[in-house]
Amino acid sequence: MALNQTYFEIFGLKPAFAIDRAALAERYRELQRGFHPDKYVSKSEREQLLAMQYAARINEAHTTLRDPVLRAGYLLKLAGVEVSPEQTTADADFLMKQMVLRERLEEAREAQDPAAVLDELADEVRHLFSGEQKHFAGVFAAGDLEAGKSSLLKLQFLSKLQRQVEELEEDLLD
Amino acid sequence: MALLQISEPGQTPEPHQRKRAVGIDLGTTNSLVATVRSGTAEAIATQDGSVILPSVVHYAADGITVGAAARTRAGEDPYNTLISIKRLMGRGIADVKSFGEQLPYKFVDSDGGMPAIETAAGPVNPVQVSAEILKTLYQRGSAALGGELDGAVITVPAYFDDAQRQATKDAARLAGLKVLRLLNEPTAAAVAYGLDKGEEGLIAVYDLGGGTFDISILRLSRGVFEVMATGGDTALGGDDFDRTIATWVAEQAGLGTDLDAAAQRALLDSACAAKEALAQQQQVELAYGDWRGTLDRAGMAELLNPLIDKTLRACRRALRDAGVSAGEVGEVVLVGGSTRTLQVRERVEEFFGRAPHADIDPDQVVAIGAALQADVLVGNKSRDDLLLLDVIPLSLGIETMGGLTEKLIPRNTTIPVSKAQEFTTFRDGQTAMAIHVVQGERELVKDCRSLARFELRGIPPMVAGAAHIRVTFQVDADGLLSVAAMEKSSGVSADVTVKPSYGLEDGDIARMLQDSYAHAEEDIAARALREAQVEAERSLESLLAALQENGAELLSGRELDELERAAEALRFAHNGGDAEEIRRRIEALNQLSEPFAARRMDASIRRAMQGHTLDEFDK
Repeated sequence: MALNQTYFEIFGLKPAFAIDRAALAERYRELQRGFHPDKYVSKSEREQLLAMQYAARINEAHTTLRDPVLRAGYLLKLAGVEVSPEQTTADADFLMKQMVLRERLEEAREAQDPAAVLDELADEVRHLFSGEQKHFAGVFAAGDLEAGKSSLLKLQFLSKLQRQVEELEEDLLD
Repeated sequence: MALLQISEPGQTPEPHQRKRAVGIDLGTTNSLVATVRSGTAEAIATQDGSVILPSVVHYAADGITVGAAARTRAGEDPYNTLISIKRLMGRGIADVKSFGEQLPYKFVDSDGGMPAIETAAGPVNPVQVSAEILKTLYQRGSAALGGELDGAVITVPAYFDDAQRQATKDAARLAGLKVLRLLNEPTAAAVAYGLDKGEEGLIAVYDLGGGTFDISILRLSRGVFEVMATGGDTALGGDDFDRTIATWVAEQAGLGTDLDAAAQRALLDSACAAKEALAQQQQVELAYGDWRGTLDRAGMAELLNPLIDKTLRACRRALRDAGVSAGEVGEVVLVGGSTRTLQVRERVEEFFGRAPHADIDPDQVVAIGAALQADVLVGNKSRDDLLLLDVIPLSLGIETMGGLTEKLIPRNTTIPVSKAQEFTTFRDGQTAMAIHVVQGERELVKDCRSLARFELRGIPPMVAGAAHIRVTFQVDADGLLSVAAMEKSSGVSADVTVKPSYGLEDGDIARMLQDSYAHAEEDIAARALREAQVEAERSLESLLAALQENGAELLSGRELDELERAAEALRFAHNGGDAEEIRRRIEALNQLSEPFAARRMDASIRRAMQGHTLDEFDK
């Protein structure tokens, strides 16, 4: 065992998209109980430094595995497919859908009842996001990395849009 | 076994000797020190029974006064009586100018972009003023515990940025304190409540102090406090309530705002008194100059609501960042003297839909939580189940082309965290590059806080774009940033020179330490020797513990011999009087035990992985 283990190995999980969130959270606390720098305050400087590196690595692994988009990207990376967070989809149908969704977000600001419009949009984006996650899980399990990559690009867009909807909701509340 | 000689009686401390550890709440208005005695955490009182130390320092030509005695001088001698100094920690001269009307001091420029205040005892900077408060608390702690302190946990607002945290740590160093950890105030409060009651689930800590506001959302699960999100405002607090009321009074009385320092102070004091009175009674009579008037609860609520709205906006954002709704929060904890204001309690209760806890004195709860954490960190308590997982409050980023910010570590990332970024050269033969690190959420660099500028030198000359410089940003468990850089193809590490934007460099602290010793007529050499000896004891003690645990298992006979010889040499140096020699021997021992430390870490990981079947790791 060393710092070069994969995130899945660190957490003792199978490298698959579907993840047992309760097990992840439990294992995270267990690992930090062993390696957090607070447990090494009276140890040598060297051990303190190592503890910090391990704890940082555990945190990075936890952050990645917890988030569906990061997890999907990491699975593809392990399989040798790199996708930049800035890369966008080339799927014409999805591009169309993207444009429509973005327009609706823009229009929500000017709507008579922006909260209701945003609620509806948020529900729809949530639905699309969870559907796309299922799709990713399926194609990745089947070993179709090209389809996995195309699905990840959609996940990246939907997650970003979800964040923008939330931000607009917050703006409108103020 | 020969190795056990290391623990000869008298050479290392008794294994079960209690360490003297305290928790310090270094507040804007008031400060406190607390400790764990006979299993309970309590604030340490002075002989006259007061636990609160007003965070006020008075400078006169013939001496420095701290606390209540200094507070009484504020009216007559406002320029030399420094209050709310925490607001200036880690701030630049430009920030301070924006506080100008609120703090009646004469600011002068000083080195490192840090402001200094002109006093009767000469110019002093915020770090030095805070160090005076910490020294007083240190003395109170060591008097109560009967000896030099082994360490302290000092609390900071969760929303403090890197510069403000660093300034706090510098102040502690100047005061001669060993900082075990900088702990976020809301986390400390949650610890005080959580351990008391054995709560599980989501906790919201609403902390409104004199000058700062923090909101933290934590999940408590079997002794692990996991901060999920934090937010707030480092320039919003009860002082602003006072100012708002004072401005109202001045308007009603038909006075301008260009009052002299003493008049301003008197007006603020009466505003503060009115605010406190309205927590008990329905209305309060006010007088200012010839003016007489009344302020009732509804009237004050109307004045304060815009400020309270700001805090609730931050609560909403923190909940969103944590990915939870207000309804899921199981417990709401109030911290800070300003939560005594009724309107605050009512609005918070309305927002979260449940009555907040306030049974631990909101002025003491932070120091008590810090004392509990200090007790664990120093090793008194095998409270193995207590662990705090905190987050970085503001995103860390770097400046890119066109004055834009590129975020490297987003806010609310759990610390410690490290993140590497690759850079390349722009011109052929380029051997140096400058990196500007900022903290904040905004797109433009000018809207974020400038933390430091790093210069990387010693990059091997190559054609433009050929050098790959990997810069690693690391945030430790105190929330403090460090940077390392390496050119990948050649393996050359670049020199990183840190120039903090609003802070002190190592040399500054050394100089201020010298100055303060000169004042106190302390013997610098004696102090250096004692510090080296303590460090030596710590190294020997931790090596011994490590050897006893798994030395025989992880080291060869030769390695054991070498370590023993190095330990013996350090023990010999420890009994001599040469601090330099002790330092050299510590360094030698540390280097020699490095492989052992690494093997121990691997061994504990193997242990941690036990119970997981091998097929779990199969791909």
